Amino acid sequence: MSIEVKNISKRFGNFVALDDVSLEIPTGELVALLGPSGCGKTTLLRIIAGMESASAGTVMFHGEEATNVPTRERQVGFVFQHYALFRHMSVFENVAFGLRVKPRGERPSEKQIRERVMHLLSLVQLEWLADRYPSQLSGGQRQRIALARALAVEPKVLLLDEPFGALDTQVRKELRRWLRHLHDEMHIASVFVTHDQEEALEVADRVVVMNKGHIEQIGSPDEVYSAPATPFVYRFLGNVNVFRSRVHGTWAEIDRAPEPGSKDEALAFVRPHDIDIQREASADALAARIVHIQAIGPQVRVEVEHQGEIFEVDLTRERHEQLALAEGETVWLRPRALRVFQGEQLVDAQTFDLGAGI
Amino acid sequence: MTPRRVNTESWPVRLLLCVLALGFLFFFLGLPLLSVFVEAFKQGFGPYFEALCDADTRSAITLTLVIAVMVLPLNILFGLSAAWAIARFDFRGKSLLITLIDLPFAVSPVVAGLLFILIFGRQGFLGDWLGAHDIKIIFALPGMVLATMFVTVPYIARELIPLMQAQGRDEEEAAVSLGASGLQMFWRVTLPNIKWGLLYGVILANARAMGEFGAVSVVSGHIRGMTNTLPLHVEILYNEYNSVGAFAAASVLALLALVTLVAKTIVEWRMAREIAMLSADLSIENPAVAAKS
Repeated sequence: MSIEVKNISKRFGNFVALDDVSLEIPTGELVALLGPSGCGKTTLLRIIAGMESASAGTVMFHGEEATNVPTRERQVGFVFQHYALFRHMSVFENVAFGLRVKPRGERPSEKQIRERVMHLLSLVQLEWLADRYPSQLSGGQRQRIALARALAVEPKVLLLDEPFGALDTQVRKELRRWLRHLHDEMHIASVFVTHDQEEALEVADRVVVMNKGHIEQIGSPDEVYSAPATPFVYRFLGNVNVFRSRVHGTWAEIDRAPEPGSKDEALAFVRPHDIDIQREASADALAARIVHIQAIGPQVRVEVEHQGEIFEVDLTRERHEQLALAEGETVWLRPRALRVFQGEQLVDAQTFDLGAGI
Repeated sequence: MTPRRVNTESWPVRLLLCVLALGFLFFFLGLPLLSVFVEAFKQGFGPYFEALCDADTRSAITLTLVIAVMVLPLNILFGLSAAWAIARFDFRGKSLLITLIDLPFAVSPVVAGLLFILIFGRQGFLGDWLGAHDIKIIFALPGMVLATMFVTVPYIARELIPLMQAQGRDEEEAAVSLGASGLQMFWRVTLPNIKWGLLYGVILANARAMGEFGAVSVVSGHIRGMTNTLPLHVEILYNEYNSVGAFAAASVLALLALVTLVAKTIVEWRMAREIAMLSADLSIENPAVAAKS
């Protein structure tokens, strides 16, 4: 089932949590709502679930208006950050809950409930925990039980609020892969909220980057990472170097600081791995002094100083060995790819000129 | 070997503190409690049970039970709704409500009793209207129920508010998202989670309801066999120099206190377990817990 959110706004007193947000999620897609805390992503998820009412706007489920449909009739599976398992019920009863509270006419027989619960528990590979209580489970097990419980009522939409936020890195990685796999089998629309960019990029079909109550960009993980639509997305997804620059026409002059407030003022964004270091000066390179060199996993991070500011360059180990760099020496930086923004606006300046370099 | 604790008081200090605490407990609680039973049984078991079987004493016991039975359900209803409202919603006047719930703790019970006389008494606000319709509240059961309500109102609410706040809304929202109706959510999720806290509040409220003297005394009128509760009856008997009768009645109250204490301890123990379960660190992987049992 598809979800459509149209012009949703939400205010808490004077605070605007969501400002005219629109979003469409087709069936079968796994979407990540990504943003820093306080950006409104959880509020949006709760509005989709019907746990929070929007101040304005509509929510449609499969083309039908659902804005005022109560949560219990929306057929959404909701997974909470802290699992919210019923702590006085066994794992079995937790998963069976949604089946037991069905109206008498629709309620399956005890035998059917048993079969369905055991099937779900085997789906999350935890059949052997059926008689345990939530307090006896590890965090990862709890989260999987919470998922099984949400899936018991065959929801048309699966909503997950920071599902892996409280787990340690190893378990988190495993559960991510597992969620992806589960989603592919269910053929439903799934939305999960996260503040972890790595998680969003790794799991989701589409990433919705949010900031201060509005959507900054919607796109595939590759799009939002390699072609950020706004400076915020650039900064939020991965490391980035920012150079002051000025724009005239289709030319962006990197590193030529304009007078403050002038209308050709712009910022150029370059990822650390999109910069190459070379020994010789060239028209498209900036002079810089190496401050610090550190190997981080598969890469070598070189911190360079240019006009009093520190920039980061990530080199492959091979490239680093080839160059044989030393701290304190002067080198030339050549960006391979960059994007220039004037304020919030992307400037189409394919050609660039590194003004001060020459 | 147990690790040696360095930063602890020397043994004379520890001994002194223990002796002080235990001595105080003995002289101010143990000894009086003991003397109640000693006095009650002074003339043997016969007179003791005779005193208890006295018609006025029996009616006092009955009245005390009736008042408790009437007051507790109302208290549960109010306690639950107040705790629910405070823990689950934000509304104007919330902090005022929290303050007002504690009011009966701050007001002298005698003043509470007088309040009801001022409202329902013959010279009170509603006195004329009540007289015209032949409704008796003061010097009758309704007045005593009201006065007891007033002094016992905080117990259940105060027990439930912090508990429900700590538990949060998550489980209830999960229940609703799974298709539970409001009533199903309450019976299957909310109530099981707060049942020990609720029971604890009921035990305390019950002890207070049965033992209340001041407020009830003001509105009761002390009509023997009619509006005399057990605590009031103890006073009457004592003033008549019927010491065996007075202490026999008092021993029933003392027994109630002991039962309350035991029940309270059991419930406290269960609640501590519940709270440990609630606050069991849900945020990190804990393979030790998972591997256990």
